[in-house]
Amino acid sequence: MTTVMPNADSINLSDLEFWALPPTDREAAFAALRSERPFAFFEEPEFAFLPPGPGYYAIVRHADVEAVSSQPKLFCSGNGATSITDLPVELNEFYGSMISMDDPRHAKIRRIVSKAFTPKMLETLVDDVEKITDKILADARKVAESGDGTFDLVKHVSAPLPLKVICQMMGIPEDEEQLVLEQTNFILSGGDEEFIQDENEAMRLVLEAGQTLAGIMGRLAEERRERATADLTSALVRTEVDGETLSHQEIASFFILLCVAGNETTRTAISHGVYALHQFPEQKARWIADPSLTKTAVEEIVRWASPVIWMRRTATQDTEVNGHQFKAGDKLIMFYNSANRDETVFKDPDVFDLGRDPNPHFGFGAPGPHFCLGAHLARREITVAFRKLFEQMPDLEVAGEPDRLRSSFINGIKRLPVRLTGTA
Amino acid sequence: MSEANATVDEELCVGTGICEATAPDLFEVGDDGVSHVLVASVPEDRLEAARRAAADCPTRALKVE
Repeated sequence: MTTVMPNADSINLSDLEFWALPPTDREAAFAALRSERPFAFFEEPEFAFLPPGPGYYAIVRHADVEAVSSQPKLFCSGNGATSITDLPVELNEFYGSMISMDDPRHAKIRRIVSKAFTPKMLETLVDDVEKITDKILADARKVAESGDGTFDLVKHVSAPLPLKVICQMMGIPEDEEQLVLEQTNFILSGGDEEFIQDENEAMRLVLEAGQTLAGIMGRLAEERRERATADLTSALVRTEVDGETLSHQEIASFFILLCVAGNETTRTAISHGVYALHQFPEQKARWIADPSLTKTAVEEIVRWASPVIWMRRTATQDTEVNGHQFKAGDKLIMFYNSANRDETVFKDPDVFDLGRDPNPHFGFGAPGPHFCLGAHLARREITVAFRKLFEQMPDLEVAGEPDRLRSSFINGIKRLPVRLTGTA
Repeated sequence: MSEANATVDEELCVGTGICEATAPDLFEVGDDGVSHVLVASVPEDRLEAARRAAADCPTRALKVE
């Protein structure tokens, strides 16, 4: 690795410019933090005129992230897991989902849908995922052939695949898929000016996006209350927790969580995977020659991409993590991206190795009750996406650099130019 | 012949299905959203898989002894 280790004291994770740095620079910065400032404290980043809070600790080592994540009574999610700033109460109507709840209520709500996301249940979806992928790739090839052979992988492949799958599971009609995608782009834009130009508008736009999604959900929920089908919405409106059905707010929040979490993450993993196979062609050749590599390859793509960069916890009492003291109320940000490159856990962590085994990455979260609900679904989508890409687009080449999302939260790729050469 | 018992702490289990993915013959998440052990006791040739499932359980709900 030729990147120079930065001065650990000069790193500021709250500066949005840090997240615009090239990936190797950011990785070097986290390596410096792991080595020299493993519990670095930072002032909170600005967010939409809200009063700045007291600051947060960056948890960057694998073992420390695991300790925080696996002790939910000491490090809770109830003060908000997806925002460093303490959010105003109005936003809870749309964004106060189970991801920012603690047990027992969190577990009760999660169990309503956990069956729908298990491996055996997802078997029933296999055909659907395959059909969706076939059509997406056929449409992408048409786009390429009608032009100069190029297309945007994100727009035509990695975004539509998880979108169509999660919408189908939820029962969202096809003609509303694009609207759903637009709202989730806003919500997870993270400060990238492509999506929100004016910071003053950020709060309003994020609220409106929540309202739009809640509106879609409201109509769908009514229909499913009248007539149940096998979809997730029917399960959501029918099931009772503690003898009560979920409130309208809870259903809206849940729906938004599934739309947001079910879209941005998997598409990011697929996009990073395609780019990595381009950067490391010997890995691509290895996988094509040996399809039995798929299981470890998919895990390595998730580790490499680390689509969700962090989640927040808040200390519920004075406590400690591997010898470091925290006070009640301290905000801790678990940096999964850094844990996933921890040199004390992963041999040659900066090597993209599709055979990496074991691979105890935290791309789906570290151990704990909030472990990714959609992990099996994501693995299946990524598996099918790459199998189909190898089968149907052996002539795919990356044609340019990825256009990266400028966000501390999602390691997103907005565009990835690719071309089909028509040869293979 | 050594067999073992597998138990799921239903307070801790949130139905991630990692046990089901590791050993679908031994574990299955039910409609109640928590995992259930499908066998009365774990046969010797499935012990390793059961232990791996327990080690990978993100909430430490699954125990094999």
